[in-house]
Amino acid sequence: MTAISEVSRPRRKRADGWRWAGRIILFLMIIYTAAPMVWMFLTSLKSGFAAMQFPPQWWPKEPTLEHYAKLLDPSESIGADFIRYFGNSVFVSVTTTLAAVAVAVPAAYAFSRFNFPGRTFLFFSVLLRNMFPAVIFLVPLFILMRLLGLVNTHASLILTYLTFGLPLAIWLLRGFYDNIPIQLEQAARIDGATRFQAFLLVVMPLSAPGIIATAIYSFIGAWNEYIYAYTFLSRHDQMTLPVGLQRFFAENTTDWPGLMAASFMMSVPVVVMFLVLQRYFVRALTEGAVKH
Amino acid sequence: MTTLTDASARYRKSGSARTGLLHRVWQHRTDYAYVLPAIVVMLIVIAYPVYYTIELSFFKTPPGLQLREKSFIGLENYATILNSSVFWEVTWNTVVWTVASTFFAFLLGLVCALSLHREFIGRGILRAILLIPWVVSAVAASYVWRWIYHSDFGVLGALLVALGLATEPPNLIDNVDRVLPALIVVNVWREFSFAMIMLMAGLQTVPEQLLRAAQVDGANPWQRFWHVTFPHLKGVTTVTVLLLAVANFNGFIIPWIMTGGGPAGSSHIWITHIYELAFGRQRWGVAAAYSVLLFIIMMVLGVFYVRALNRSGRSREGA
Repeated sequence: MTAISEVSRPRRKRADGWRWAGRIILFLMIIYTAAPMVWMFLTSLKSGFAAMQFPPQWWPKEPTLEHYAKLLDPSESIGADFIRYFGNSVFVSVTTTLAAVAVAVPAAYAFSRFNFPGRTFLFFSVLLRNMFPAVIFLVPLFILMRLLGLVNTHASLILTYLTFGLPLAIWLLRGFYDNIPIQLEQAARIDGATRFQAFLLVVMPLSAPGIIATAIYSFIGAWNEYIYAYTFLSRHDQMTLPVGLQRFFAENTTDWPGLMAASFMMSVPVVVMFLVLQRYFVRALTEGAVKH
Repeated sequence: MTTLTDASARYRKSGSARTGLLHRVWQHRTDYAYVLPAIVVMLIVIAYPVYYTIELSFFKTPPGLQLREKSFIGLENYATILNSSVFWEVTWNTVVWTVASTFFAFLLGLVCALSLHREFIGRGILRAILLIPWVVSAVAASYVWRWIYHSDFGVLGALLVALGLATEPPNLIDNVDRVLPALIVVNVWREFSFAMIMLMAGLQTVPEQLLRAAQVDGANPWQRFWHVTFPHLKGVTTVTVLLLAVANFNGFIIPWIMTGGGPAGSSHIWITHIYELAFGRQRWGVAAAYSVLLFIIMMVLGVFYVRALNRSGRSREGA
């Protein structure tokens, strides 16, 4: 018997045990992860009466879409509100995402390529934003927004949300740019492109996956943000979904199926978008954050 | 991190190291145009609030958000905080909440990352499902879990009864002793997948040859993990744990939506307590002083964070 087979034989036996452990763990983790979401969906299909039973109906006996119909019906007050909140959330999230990409891309590029004085200091100052919690900025920011005349406008939210997304966006993108060979730009420069043209026409397209990842991150952050939206906006017609959800709850405390239906519809856009685009996000983390 | 590759050094036109700082700033003036928008936004939304919070923490403030008739009282707000009995209770809750959430989120993330490391059919789908809680709105998730924990109609209580583990549905978030663990379960549910993707990315940097070599030398799977894989994950681990710890320390939405700090303040952590002080009782000065203390803790963690990033950056360039 050769040395190699001696080594590989016992390995297979042992690895199987570990692999089974891995499978069992994954199975348990999938249940932990998915069960709450499944229960949210099942509850949203029950009537108010069917939901309030003990023991619960594990499977809805008379599934109904009435809660979804109510939320999407513009002629009812709840439906009209829900649709408006949804629109507000879309507007705020999309604008935040566009602004975040526009601000983060050049900054990350400069942090990766240029060697201006204060580069390291500025880079880490940006990253430090991650350390500050939203809540302690509430009062001063509220006062600042009042000073700027932005209270009760979506602009106040967009400006604030920008700063949540920026640190991670800049960090991820910088890692991406670090991995793009500088020779590509040099070639473009030799062919007569300006530094900005080389950036726009050569580097930007190559970093598209990183930009997509950054965009997803900003969008999800803006879509889900609650504290600032709760504080800065007091007018009903301006509210975003997380605040609107809380308002539904405050007004109809016992309408759990309706609340679950609203939660479900609120989660669908981000989850679908994330599932479609998640490989970019994972790749950006792999290549950008944890370079090798 | 400041060391640059030869290629990029040649690419830059900058002169000798002897030129003065101002000269160098001037030389690089167009570089600043790229970072300016980011810096301006950060300055508006961070620098001013930080300054204002520190100032406010030395003042006695009237209720109401006009804050015109405030009077200087020095460190009295800080003394009020440290002398209150609630402070130590809330601090203890915060420590338990932060440490337990971070530990379990990291542990589950690590286990999942290791289990998903090997290529198999359906791996992408499993990873995607595991990532969903991380993208679902925290507000929606809090309501869903509140419904699951509901003391009369909650599915978890019913499940425990059906399995014979309890004779009647237990109170979970309405119970002073159980509320914090119950909230930690929700928090870990939400964020373990963040640790998972970070560690999955880190696992790809572990050289396959090294694992083979260890195997040839007769190391068992645990030894291979502990002596080969884990040391390679050190950089990612530090960054992930720090980011998780900061996120947990500042985790507001789950305790706020699920319990509002109750019952009887047993699930108040610093951040919800500060919110309650400011917007509930309108004690802006005390809340600001609390915030300053929180700043200080964050800055200490921040120093570690930057050093960890720096270290993993340097080891990368060395490799």
